[in-house]
Amino acid sequence: MGNPTDPGQVERNREQELIARAQKGDRSAFAVLLREHQDEVYTLARRLVGDPHMASDVSQEALIRAWRALPRFRGDARLSTWLYRITVNTAWTHKERARKHQGTSIDEHLDIAAPVDAGHPEVAGEILELRGRLRLALDRLPDPQREVVVLKDIYGWSHAEIAESMGISVTAAKVRLHRARARLAKDLEETA
Amino acid sequence: MSVVCEMAAPFVANSAVDGEEVVRPFRSHTVTCLKCQARHAAMTRTARELAAMEGVRMAAPADLEWRVMASLEGDLAISRSWNRPMAWAAAFVSMAAAVVIWRLKPRRV
Repeated sequence: MGNPTDPGQVERNREQELIARAQKGDRSAFAVLLREHQDEVYTLARRLVGDPHMASDVSQEALIRAWRALPRFRGDARLSTWLYRITVNTAWTHKERARKHQGTSIDEHLDIAAPVDAGHPEVAGEILELRGRLRLALDRLPDPQREVVVLKDIYGWSHAEIAESMGISVTAAKVRLHRARARLAKDLEETA
Repeated sequence: MSVVCEMAAPFVANSAVDGEEVVRPFRSHTVTCLKCQARHAAMTRTARELAAMEGVRMAAPADLEWRVMASLEGDLAISRSWNRPMAWAAAFVSMAAAVVIWRLKPRRV
């Protein structure tokens, strides 16, 4: 049991209470959780699928799946981690469906830039420029390679977690990451 | 640019992102090769920017919450609409079972 006056602990307790209520079918509690986590879910979906419309559909389906699976959520992982897993699986299903029906279209999309705190305007400019090139390079990666880079290098998942969520072996996840990073580096070098 | 630089490229990238040393077969080459060192430095900056992306949130579409909650309403409506047919089906199955049991019961002559 953590310190009850610690703000982080208070927040965790509040979330656990909301989860417990939602697990019993309280939709207003789920609505609060949804409001708090929808941006995270949408951001991951957008990074995985690229297209904003598909990302919106992926987020919707992932959150509906989360509601249905919530009674089975035991709290071993953080809620956001659990939601990320559902989002990855949903994105995967959506892309498979899209591939079967039509060629996937990845719109040019603009990430909301993190604030650049570089001290000097020219350094800040360089960072913004790198971020722009990085986003485009990520978009140019083939879907399976982009997924591993997003999950490993942005979200810090382990190889085992990536392998499990993508239904591949740990070795395959490592190989995919290896190739993806090499391709990313080459692409960035060419566009520098 | 040598063939060795090209072979080393993925390992240089991995080393920069994971913050580990370049794997042994390419380590000595990377130490002496300016091209590979430049690649390493570039990929280190890239890795830093990738990691920084985690804290960047994109705003979900304004109607996402409404769409999700409306779907949940739909779920409930569907489950409610199934209540009556399910009750009728259960009643029918029970009656059929009762008839079968009655027919199978040995009769006294």
